Amino acid sequence: MGTISSAFSLISQALDADQSGLNVVANNVANANTTGYTEEKPNWQENDPIEINGVSYGTGVTQTGATSVRDRVLQERLNQEQQSASASSSRLTALDSVQSLFTSASSSSSSSSAGNIGTDITNFFDSFSSLETDPTNNADRQTVLSSAKTLAGDISGAAASLNSQKSDLDQEAAAVPSQVNALTSSIAQLNVEIQSSSPDADAGTLEDQRQEDISQLSKLIGVNQVTTANNGISITTTSGQALVSGGTSVSLTTGTVNGVTDFFVGTTDVTSQLTTGGGSLGGYLTARDQDIPSVQSSLDQLAYSVSTQVNKVNNAGTDLDGDNSNAGNIFSEPTQIAGSAEQMSVVMTDPNHIAAAGSGKGTGDSSNATAMAALQNQTVVDGQTPINYYSNLVTTLGSTVSSVETENTAQNASVTQLQTQNDALSSVNLDDEASAMTTLERSYEAASKVFTMLDAIMASALNLGEQTTVS
Amino acid sequence: MLEIGESRVHPKLKELVVEASRSLALLDADRLEELALSCEALNRRLAPRDAEARAELAPEAREAAGDMAVFARVLEATRANLRVIRRLRQLRGGCLEYGERQVMEWNPTEGGSGNN
Repeated sequence: MGTISSAFSLISQALDADQSGLNVVANNVANANTTGYTEEKPNWQENDPIEINGVSYGTGVTQTGATSVRDRVLQERLNQEQQSASASSSRLTALDSVQSLFTSASSSSSSSSAGNIGTDITNFFDSFSSLETDPTNNADRQTVLSSAKTLAGDISGAAASLNSQKSDLDQEAAAVPSQVNALTSSIAQLNVEIQSSSPDADAGTLEDQRQEDISQLSKLIGVNQVTTANNGISITTTSGQALVSGGTSVSLTTGTVNGVTDFFVGTTDVTSQLTTGGGSLGGYLTARDQDIPSVQSSLDQLAYSVSTQVNKVNNAGTDLDGDNSNAGNIFSEPTQIAGSAEQMSVVMTDPNHIAAAGSGKGTGDSSNATAMAALQNQTVVDGQTPINYYSNLVTTLGSTVSSVETENTAQNASVTQLQTQNDALSSVNLDDEASAMTTLERSYEAASKVFTMLDAIMASALNLGEQTTVS
Repeated sequence: MLEIGESRVHPKLKELVVEASRSLALLDADRLEELALSCEALNRRLAPRDAEARAELAPEAREAAGDMAVFARVLEATRANLRVIRRLRQLRGGCLEYGERQVMEWNPTEGGSGNN
């Protein structure tokens, strides 16, 4: 404005602005290792000039806070991929456990195992081949019953283990809503604070906290986010149920339906939507409601077909006691396919009731044992032989695991790519901060020198007309 | 007798697709190019074959169906990522290097009056 005092004012503002800029740098450096912190850049604003006698004079600079360097589109994309990666990770963990059930136990191990079912099937039918050569041999008959028990035990054990894994997944899934609700509640609270403190601009630390909450939420369930008025964010499930709207959050609740945990938003059952939505909950539910039931169903079919066919053939022959077409069942007779595997057991206790002889033939005959042994090569289980059916079950499971593994690897790589981009944009780079600090320091020094000069000029002006000592 | 360029061991279609998904996820352009060449060679070999010979490959194709679905999802995700990254590059412009724009962010511009 043409006066020394106005120049003092200008340079004083410059010193303030530089100091504020240094504060922003200091804050960046201090938070360089803080999770979720976004680098801030100081905002500079030129003051409005004033006009005196037709001449425009600048009035200095003001530092108007700082802006976080973030890109919401990138963050949203990162959250989407995080949802997919979390879903496939939790699903893969569950599938690995299922697959380990069907991994063959070591040959030295004599314990029962679902992984031995293939061998059990072969051993069981082969025991009838041995019986063919000497149908009255008690040891061979004992071997038939013993191999039947091993087969039934391994199948029912596998079914029980699958049920147990399903139950574990149900518990893990049921624990997710409390974490979701804590995060949605926090996001709603942050919405209120952000809308009141900075409705038109980036909210800095509060925005960091909100993004961190959304990122955590994305690891748990599939969500969509929508930016609303006054810098608010609404969160919905991927199928559109509102979880956060402005300052209000809606709780995700659970209830037991048909023996498993279902999930509700308000009164709407959103279990199937959450299954396909993503996040670890999506992975748990996919494994619980699709993958494990599919394996259970195949195992039930195997148990049902083997039990009914073996019982049918045994009841068609003559046992060692001479019972014709009435020898009884070897396995418990299933009434329906569902649940057959878990209930599979050997009900025959007397090996004499194994009907090795054909109907109406003497006990020395072995034609029915031959028929029984031949079952292993007949397509008695859903159009396949028992061993092929079991092999397909294991192969299909392995193929599913492989696909999910590939997808998980791809999604994790995708998350890493996006995270790298986000870090490059938003995380604190100490080299950049050092450079910025030097720039601000120089600027501060320059302003100080101007201040010193102005001080000297002011002193000279005050001393005008007075005699001073010249050194 | 083998034709030129025909390998003795043909990788299964499923293996090709899984490898393609992994390479795409890792943005391994060289490996993707190799796989694309393999697919071209596969198509060339298939072209002159009769329907019966092609039908023999149907089970292999069915076996790879699940992995094709995975590949399609990875492809879609990669496209979406690239769209976001390209947009980001455009927004940042020359800021990735020590360009003028970055310097401008840290240094207040001179006022129009030249007085500050």
